[in-house]
Amino acid sequence: MSEFRQHIALEGKGLTLGYLHQKTRKLILEDLDFRLFKGELTCLLGPNGVGKSTLIKAILGQINPWKGEILLEDEPIQNFNTENLAKQISVVLTDPVFPGNMTVGQLVALGRTPHTGWTGKLSSTDREIVEKALSDTKIAYLRDERLSEISDGQRQKAMIARALAQDGQLIILDEPTAHLDLVNRFEIMQLLREIAATKAKSVLVVTHDLDIAVETADRFWLMNCGTPVVSGKPEDLIISGAINLLLPGEKYRFSLERGKMEFEIQDSKFEFSGPQELVFWVKKAMDKAGIGKISELIQVTHRPFSIRYKDLEFAQISDFVSFLKR
Amino acid sequence: MPNRSYLFPIAFLLLGLSFLLNLSLGSVMIPFGEIVSGIFSGEWTKTSWEQIILNYRLPKALVAIFAGIGLGLSGLQMQTFFRNPLAGPFVLGISSGAGLGVAILMLAGSAFGFALSGINSWAIALAGVTGAGLVLSAVSLVAWKVKDSMTLLIVGLMFGSAVSAVISVLSYFSGAEALKLFTVWSMGSLGALGWSQVGILGILIALGCIPVFGSIKSYNALLLGEAYAKSMGIRTETMRWLMIGSTGILAGGITAFCGPIAFIGIAVPHLARIVWKSSDHRVLFPASALIGAILLLLCDAAGQLPGFASTLPINAVTSLVGAPIVIGLILKRNFSRDF
Repeated sequence: MSEFRQHIALEGKGLTLGYLHQKTRKLILEDLDFRLFKGELTCLLGPNGVGKSTLIKAILGQINPWKGEILLEDEPIQNFNTENLAKQISVVLTDPVFPGNMTVGQLVALGRTPHTGWTGKLSSTDREIVEKALSDTKIAYLRDERLSEISDGQRQKAMIARALAQDGQLIILDEPTAHLDLVNRFEIMQLLREIAATKAKSVLVVTHDLDIAVETADRFWLMNCGTPVVSGKPEDLIISGAINLLLPGEKYRFSLERGKMEFEIQDSKFEFSGPQELVFWVKKAMDKAGIGKISELIQVTHRPFSIRYKDLEFAQISDFVSFLKR
Repeated sequence: MPNRSYLFPIAFLLLGLSFLLNLSLGSVMIPFGEIVSGIFSGEWTKTSWEQIILNYRLPKALVAIFAGIGLGLSGLQMQTFFRNPLAGPFVLGISSGAGLGVAILMLAGSAFGFALSGINSWAIALAGVTGAGLVLSAVSLVAWKVKDSMTLLIVGLMFGSAVSAVISVLSYFSGAEALKLFTVWSMGSLGALGWSQVGILGILIALGCIPVFGSIKSYNALLLGEAYAKSMGIRTETMRWLMIGSTGILAGGITAFCGPIAFIGIAVPHLARIVWKSSDHRVLFPASALIGAILLLLCDAAGQLPGFASTLPINAVTSLVGAPIVIGLILKRNFSRDF
């Protein structure tokens, strides 16, 4: 019931989307309902080709729904013209287009485009908002660096700062963590979460990064072919098993204990003794190597790490596995 | 951020110097001092100098400035709109269109065996404007249908190729005299215009600049690509028409009056980016206009072959002088990184 007390920034009602391709109507999404709440980081997850980009395009008003409607602050999205929509929704897209001569500061200032006059000259308020966006994303020190001379992670933060400077209710990001290293992925998502919470904005992230989404998102939207959007707290979806909607067939499953996707292991029967966390990794290596049944006990000891099997002792998992494979 | 606005006074100074140099050089050398005092006081040491400056070199220098500004501005618009460093004022087939108009005027009579009398520079300009306008309308019709700017670019190039083929056919069947006339036109010339034509060209350039001023902000947003520009509230469809209109008037007008002038339109925006180290169109538009004017004045001066009576055609000079400069600059700084 808590949903009703939260402020709904964006709402989809019975939304049906599709393309007209050479005079044949190609249905992409049918009868979708969804709600995006203020102050939340929502992750949209789903396999490739399920229609995530189509949904984003519809939210951006670039394609009209065949049926149903999208409401932005209770107003149909079609009622907004390009400029007014830009004041409400900003985006970070996947295609990396970076004019090399532009500085981070100039890029972020471009976010003020829908708010400035015809020359694009920044007022003092505009400049304050740009500075705020730079400091909120912790890249103020990069202000005068050129886009060609900073790292991918820094550039992505700059793009987020630009979206933030646009100052709408809603920020949509299409795979913002693709091409980034592990630490940067966490940082970016953590940053988005902070932005959502402290600025009371709705942040919608399309991502394939399930692990990090589980760690950071306030809400998941799960999409799969032919099913309605499943929405809920990631933790609820994991406990109810709804998260497995993302995983096709029986081959994979979402591990409740580990909080990540795993191969469904076909009952590998090993007998272990020793600390749980070490046994886990030994077992993982054995599963990966495709080792079947072993009748005897495997003893794993801690400090120093060693594996005892029959009368042999191994100091490293690799030695053990290659012994078993022989 | 290196604020390079101090470069603008320097560029203006350079423009003034190039202007004087352009006026001074030619088959007859006229000293700078004489030119300045002559223009401001109206008293000349020799009447022949007065004639040369006022009736020949001054209009030619003004045309060089106008054409340089126009080509620089339309080149920059094309490069940003299409996000393509190889785009220039003529990618939408404008120069081919103007060429076709002029070719029909000059060659068709010869090719089909009738003589057109009274080919003067007005007729040539009119034919050029008509041709450029027709091709541009055709491209616009396509632009109406296609949404994607890359498709528009390809269609423009195809139109250009098709029209050039028509010109080739006309050339193949026409007589030597007419062919020579057309070949000379296609090499470009800044000096063939009288004062009244210079006035018209000036008005055209001013007209073509209006949409540019109106869409500086949009061009800055377009640096991130069409999708981002739209998300920032830019009406890219409207912009496309402004861009087609502006380059049509600028590049079409220049080609009609001066013939095709290669190279300047593509090179100048790159030079502006390299020199000013900026991608802000509030800087790049004036910078491109200035560099375009300076470059064309210098190229024209270089083509005067001081001490000789004859001149080189401007189209050859722009490429001969300009290409090495730009290659040098590009080798020094990786220009695609600046783009």
